[in-house]
Amino acid sequence: MASLAEREGYDVGLHLLDRQVVGADDRLVGKVDDVELVLDDDGALVPTALLVGLPALLPRFGRRLGGGLARAHRLVREAAADQELPLVVDFDLVEDVSSEVRLSEPAPGLLHRMAHERAADPRRCRVGDLLGLPVRCAALPRRSKVLDLRMTGAPGRPGEHRVVAFLVGPGRPGALFGYDRSSEPGPAAVAAVIHWLHRHARVVELGDGVVIDHEAGEVRIVAGTSLSPLRG
Amino acid sequence: MKRYLAVLLGVLTAIGGFVDIGDLVTNAQVGARFGTSLVWVVLVGVVGICVFAEMSGRIAAVSHRATFDLVRERLGPRMGFLNLVGSMLVTLLTFIAEIGGVALALQLVTSVHHLLVVPFVAVAVGIVLWRARFSSIENVLGLMGLALIAFAVALWQLGPDWGELAAGLSPAEKPGAESWATYAFFGVALFGAAMTPYEVFFFSSGGVEERWTEKDIGVMRANVFIGFPLGGVLSVAIAACAATVFLPTGIAVETLGQVGLPVAVGLGKIGLAVVVLGFFAATFGAACETGLSTGYSLAQYFGFPWGKYVRPREAAGFHIILLAATVVAAGVLLTGVDPIMVTEISVLFSAIALPLTYFPILVVANDPDYLGEHVNGPVANALGVVYLVVITVAALAAIPLMIVTSMGQG
Repeated sequence: MASLAEREGYDVGLHLLDRQVVGADDRLVGKVDDVELVLDDDGALVPTALLVGLPALLPRFGRRLGGGLARAHRLVREAAADQELPLVVDFDLVEDVSSEVRLSEPAPGLLHRMAHERAADPRRCRVGDLLGLPVRCAALPRRSKVLDLRMTGAPGRPGEHRVVAFLVGPGRPGALFGYDRSSEPGPAAVAAVIHWLHRHARVVELGDGVVIDHEAGEVRIVAGTSLSPLRG
Repeated sequence: MKRYLAVLLGVLTAIGGFVDIGDLVTNAQVGARFGTSLVWVVLVGVVGICVFAEMSGRIAAVSHRATFDLVRERLGPRMGFLNLVGSMLVTLLTFIAEIGGVALALQLVTSVHHLLVVPFVAVAVGIVLWRARFSSIENVLGLMGLALIAFAVALWQLGPDWGELAAGLSPAEKPGAESWATYAFFGVALFGAAMTPYEVFFFSSGGVEERWTEKDIGVMRANVFIGFPLGGVLSVAIAACAATVFLPTGIAVETLGQVGLPVAVGLGKIGLAVVVLGFFAATFGAACETGLSTGYSLAQYFGFPWGKYVRPREAAGFHIILLAATVVAAGVLLTGVDPIMVTEISVLFSAIALPLTYFPILVVANDPDYLGEHVNGPVANALGVVYLVVITVAALAAIPLMIVTSMGQG
């Protein structure tokens, strides 16, 4: 099984989100319900933590359904001050990502609740907020969205992790099922259907040409920014 | 030597464990109404469950991921949740039907009304799920389930006109009184009974629990490719028995007692006793499997500790779900609902829930990130794609057929 340490980069939605988190003592900790990113001083998006728990999971159900479920979840724990805050696993603890996310410490006492100041920090955002954001770009179909985030680095290895590119195109995040990544894609019929459905999808490198506007809730790609096809 | 014994035990338990209340009831009903003209659906279903059980077992052995992990990783939280709700409902319905089946089997022996037996069965299932070791559940009940071979012996003793049975295998031999819509309805139900999603939930989760590795793939394949088809032969024997005894007289099968009646005709009292033991073991075993499957799917979706190999206090959430499912199942049965009707509904809704479970298995079985060199070969892929189309058609057709035929009455 190829672990992520053996490849040059990975896609957050495909390789990290929704994977099982396992402690160093083999106990199951939870799922990667979301990933926290921080905008550092150079303008790079850097992963800082895995978020675990319903407050991280429910917003990913979409605006209407997710909002409703999150409100219902708040009602269940109305007296708690930390009801909206997910549990945090620092990204430094991630030792390896294969078919599971293995941590370098044992499970008991590992999770801690996110602090209020951290949740309110405007420089921090979640992968779940970025996935599915509408993309405005003259060269792409109008219904295009952010489909996935491409990262450099391998967990557990020295070197920096940061988001280097977005996968953009029409469709739903996650609906590529990994067929853009693997070199020998599964049943030819399924691969052909998925490639056809995503024939307009492109990779765009982050840089001056890509503006993430959190207030307007969209990503703008300046005309002339180079878009590369998914594979090859 | 030990290895061969392990293979033999695995195959035998796979045969005994393959048949559950859904297979018993649906096969007997179909045999009584359609003769052997729907046997081909059982064959299609058995090949299908072999294809996908082998894939999910291989994924469990190589990457240690059970089926519902894959569902969430590949379908994402929203579609995964939709599948979770659907599969939980179907598995819970099947769980209810299995507990009802155990109670009906005990009613056949004791003549005590099954409603009075249900609470005791539920308590017994609860205790077994909480305390018993995984391998003991599987081995004891699987081996006892082999008592259902009495159906095959009874068929031989009944001495049907074999030529006539064989001639009836063609779909063209559908009895003239039945419409094609009811024929299709029972076809979908048989298909759902053979391919119920809980079988792969249980099979793959069991593999993860028993810590299968790449070395175990051979044993796993032997279990699947020998055990399941022989289980399918039992299903066909049940249908053929019903076809021999009930079809000429036009009697419809509505109770579990009627399912076993051909064996009583063919083999007498002893045969009936053996087959009732088989009913008990098959339904009790399947009750444990479906009960565990409800816990497996919820725990694997949300990622909390699960399993029979973890001590109950370390997998508290998992055991609370098992307890809650058992209480709910007993409660539903105590409303007086007919377990046979619950069975009919559960196999039909199984057919609807199939695509969302089997699609992610097929995708991951092709992903070298998970399986390395053990990815699907061309045969598994060709069959996987064909079956993906078949289960999608069955899932789409299930509800319209149910309405058109008023649950097969028409």
